[in-house]
Amino acid sequence: MYSLILLNGGIGSRTGANQPKQLLKLRGIPILVYALVTADRVDQISQIVVNYPPEWREQIEEVLEAYAISTPVTLVEAGHSRHSSVAAMVPHCTNDDVIIHESARPLVRGQDFQRLIDSEFRNVSLMSEIAFTVAPVDPETSAVTGSLDRSRLRNVQLPQKFAKSDLQDAHSSAREQQVEFTEDATLVADSGFPVHFIDGSDRNFKVTTSTDLKMAGFLLRPEEDDDE
Amino acid sequence: MSKTALVTGASRGIGLETTRRFILNNDQITTVVMFARDSEDFDAAVAELEAELPIGRRVIPVKVDVGDRGALKKAVKHAYDEVGNIDILVNNAGYTNPVPLQQIKMADFEKTMNVNLYGPFTVVKTLLNRGNRFDLIVNIASTAGINGRSGWLAYSASKAAVINMSQAMREELSIYGTRVVCLSPGRTATALRKTLAPDEDPSTIMQPEHVAQVINTISSPVGRFIDSENIVVRQ
Repeated sequence: MYSLILLNGGIGSRTGANQPKQLLKLRGIPILVYALVTADRVDQISQIVVNYPPEWREQIEEVLEAYAISTPVTLVEAGHSRHSSVAAMVPHCTNDDVIIHESARPLVRGQDFQRLIDSEFRNVSLMSEIAFTVAPVDPETSAVTGSLDRSRLRNVQLPQKFAKSDLQDAHSSAREQQVEFTEDATLVADSGFPVHFIDGSDRNFKVTTSTDLKMAGFLLRPEEDDDE
Repeated sequence: MSKTALVTGASRGIGLETTRRFILNNDQITTVVMFARDSEDFDAAVAELEAELPIGRRVIPVKVDVGDRGALKKAVKHAYDEVGNIDILVNNAGYTNPVPLQQIKMADFEKTMNVNLYGPFTVVKTLLNRGNRFDLIVNIASTAGINGRSGWLAYSASKAAVINMSQAMREELSIYGTRVVCLSPGRTATALRKTLAPDEDPSTIMQPEHVAQVINTISSPVGRFIDSENIVVRQ
């Protein structure tokens, strides 16, 4: 069985709203609900650890109660960064295997979690191909310093799964070295543990800006809108 | 897999015929919870159904007034605790007292809204808040909800609201994979119709069992392909 770490601690500074973006409405429903309801239907997830921005615990609890999420939920206050939030949430996981997702990816499907769980490897991330060219640069001098082979690069997505012990060890070693990572697949790989990827869908994108919010709403509209 | 249904207004008319179809002619439904006000009609209907129940099937009668919100919530919670998940809900209970605008009593308008609109909403919300996951919700509206009818202001307005509420419900509950169908019967030979059109010969119009047949088809696997914002059933 798996514990799901659902990252939910952002304060929404980039969406331009005056509340955390996970409480912003997407087609009239708080964004947080989409990932919660999807995860609630995955049999192998027996615990959900959700973090919340300081001061917003009550509102998150109201959502959890109204939508009657049946999987047991553990609430943890968010840290100062994504990295520190994950580090604070891992000890609350009661299973030996952990899945990490974020509420800002509301278009995640049950099959995304299932494919991850079904992978033969223990440390796995959904990742997608990069459809554009990325160049290495020196921002100080505005110089392009070479080229990158995009076939050897991937866009890191969520959800990801890890052996809890590997994730914990990786965070301990990052703490000792006083380094922070923006996500956990590269953190765990950098710590020397094997990490694999499976192909993710470009539909499972992260809602960061108000444009993303509109795009997600468009993708979630009823399919009959496409009928003749 | 055996399914459980809840039908409101189940003592007569479309509600009773739907219950009968579900419990006698639907391969999947093994339990029907019947909500209706206490009446001799209800007792007689339950006795008649129980006499012809196939093995392994059951009806659970619950005496409750859908217009009494407190009692309704209590009955819904109790039913959920007793039978577990309600897979199919048919919000059928209806009320009308057709009088001209100038003579409508506010209390009667409120009763119409309570039974026809807030009742269905209360059943759905109470169950969702308890963790119920519906396969299908059928809200019975009316062709009188599509266009306002002279002399039926309160009834028409309440049914128009049901049509609109069903659209919102349908979108919001799509996150669970729940289908929400709004069904608007035209003239049907029910007690409510008799109140609306006392001089009409009921044998000349659509019968409750015809509407029940449509609801049963919507509830069957092929029902997934009958999909419209407001399904009109009329003769």
